[in-house]
Amino acid sequence: MRRDPLANPEPLIRRVYAYVAYRVGDGPDAEDLTSETFERALRYRKSYDPKKGEPVAWLLGIAKRCIDGRGPVLEFASEHADEPVPSNLEEDTVRRLTVARAVGVLDERDRELIALRYGADLTARQIAELLGARTNAIEVALHRALGRLRETFGPEAEAEPVRKREASR
Amino acid sequence: MRYWRRRHEPFDLEAELKAGRPEPSPDFVRRLEAEVRDSGRTRVGGRLRVALVGAVTAVMLIALSGVGGAGYAASAGRDAAVSVKRVVTPGDVVKVLKRSAAIDQYGPKKKAKKKAKKAKKKGKGAKGKVKARTRPPFTG
Repeated sequence: MRRDPLANPEPLIRRVYAYVAYRVGDGPDAEDLTSETFERALRYRKSYDPKKGEPVAWLLGIAKRCIDGRGPVLEFASEHADEPVPSNLEEDTVRRLTVARAVGVLDERDRELIALRYGADLTARQIAELLGARTNAIEVALHRALGRLRETFGPEAEAEPVRKREASR
Repeated sequence: MRYWRRRHEPFDLEAELKAGRPEPSPDFVRRLEAEVRDSGRTRVGGRLRVALVGAVTAVMLIALSGVGGAGYAASAGRDAAVSVKRVVTPGDVVKVLKRSAAIDQYGPKKKAKKKAKKAKKKGKGAKGKVKARTRPPFTG
């Protein structure tokens, strides 16, 4: 009997949303695209093949096509946003906004990789399978994307070396 | 980015990317989850219905075959077909055909065939005599 890829939808919704939000920005656009992704997934759920990968990879493939079919509509903030110093209560929200803005500054390819690795929480190997590339190439590309992202955060972030090789995990 | 400078912890970009991952609103998650689950339930319900109908049919067939119901049903179908044929086929035409010249002509021959068959069964002698009378003699 074939396994239902949408048997436990809640974590999948969160991961797909995080990926989409890193790609197009947090908010209603990301929600619309996430809904569209799941709508398509429900329509074509019979086409899911467990041999080809995890349900989340299948969903992210659908989400990627939804985003690509939509065209460039991204409106991220300027490169070095100078938001007011946050209070403790707002810290979490501000952190999210800051990270999302910094990711929004990157080019399309870097943003895609960051979204898959840190939004959808895929491993480098899973990303390689999804994008049809070699794992090693993805690891290198991720490392470079992180370097470029570090530049957008300023000198403090640049000074800190990459301590963990989580991208290759 | 003052926010980052404000914190005196060492900066770990990867940890920040994971911690600062965009989160959907709880209302959105709840709504979409319900939609996905409802869709799955309808699909399972449909399958269950089909399975139930199949199971009931199988049980009925087994029960009927135990008391000869299957044979009865089959013969009932045949009887119904014969009845329909009787109603549809005009009986008068058949009668006329039976009295036609063609039937009259070929009728007795059938009887003769029967007689010949009977003779055949009785022995070879009768058959030989008949053949000698009908064929002309062999002259060389």
